[in-house]
Amino acid sequence: MSIFNFFRAAPRASAVQAKERLQIVMAHERAGRSGPDYLPMLQQELLAVIAKYVNIDENKVEVKLDRGGDCSTLEVNIELPAREQAKAAATAKPGDKPAGNDDAAAKRPAGGAVGNAGAKKRI
Amino acid sequence: MSKIIVMTSGKGGVGKTTSSAAFATGLALRGFKTVVIDFDVGLRNLDLVMGCERRVVFDFINVINGEAKLNQALIKDKRIENLYILPTSQTRDKDALTREGVEKVLNELSKDFDYILCDSPAGIERGALMSLYFADHAIIVTNPEVSSVRDSDRILGVLNSRSRRAEQGLEPVTQQLLLTRYDPERVEKGEMLKVDDVLEILAIPLLGVIPESQAVLRASNVGMPVILDEVSNAGLAYSDAVGRFLGEDIEHRFVTPQKKGLFSRLLRRSA
Repeated sequence: MSIFNFFRAAPRASAVQAKERLQIVMAHERAGRSGPDYLPMLQQELLAVIAKYVNIDENKVEVKLDRGGDCSTLEVNIELPAREQAKAAATAKPGDKPAGNDDAAAKRPAGGAVGNAGAKKRI
Repeated sequence: MSKIIVMTSGKGGVGKTTSSAAFATGLALRGFKTVVIDFDVGLRNLDLVMGCERRVVFDFINVINGEAKLNQALIKDKRIENLYILPTSQTRDKDALTREGVEKVLNELSKDFDYILCDSPAGIERGALMSLYFADHAIIVTNPEVSSVRDSDRILGVLNSRSRRAEQGLEPVTQQLLLTRYDPERVEKGEMLKVDDVLEILAIPLLGVIPESQAVLRASNVGMPVILDEVSNAGLAYSDAVGRFLGEDIEHRFVTPQKKGLFSRLLRRSA
């Protein structure tokens, strides 16, 4: 060990990083497991409908289901391509904020929904 | 009626076979009639770890196929009363394991034995699925290391969805964690996940922590389950884990670095 290392701030313990990385990756994987069966189908069908009107990149879509105490939130995030944006805003949702993401959130009550934070699926 | 335990992990090389051999021996030492079955068809190794490789004539697959009787394939341990080994085939592949065949053998064994311990192969394919399907209890063998923890979580998901108990809506398979190859000194340096970290991530009860120990290799070299090495930390830790499995309240040892005295420093003996 050189004398310079002595003065340098100690690097973050690798075990801490291991734990954080595991927590993040496993939150995704567990959500995928416990999410309802229809979620991937729903995502594909929603995409198909939107793709009829807007040119979207399938990799820039996120469908998320959050379960709260007495209500579930289904969140669909679709990133629109920059050039198509004006057209998309005109045809799909006039008056949407011009910056990029198009949010469509549908809420439905789910009596006594239990379980942890939510479900996330990616194509 | 016997209890069926599966020793599983998802990932390979974490110590399933070592733990199966030790655990089965520990149960037999406490007076329970125990059989340990090797489900790793084509890659049999339990016989070597148990030291009975030269006594294998018939195997699990022969019994499933009706080519041999169960008591022709069962090998009685020479050291421990009440301990039997059911080796697997080295030449067949995992397709030889049919659910009906496995069920038939397990039913026959359960007439005679208190505990049936299934040593799962790595992976989540047929061999692993068959070894966990009929289980009442699962012992998840995990190393304090990212890939092992992730795979353990995956296998927990499989247990909760594809075991017999899950499919038939019975009481779920009980799940306990056996953390192996734990090195308290590296944990102290921040180089290894702590027991509590792994418990927090996997969220299942802790059965035992087996410290990294040179005794494990020494024991497998000579075909002796490491639990019989009663001076080694690993052997003692397995013995504690068996006690806890049977409901005894035993404090966890070997989870903090041992203070080395002058004597042990001079001798440089590692347990």
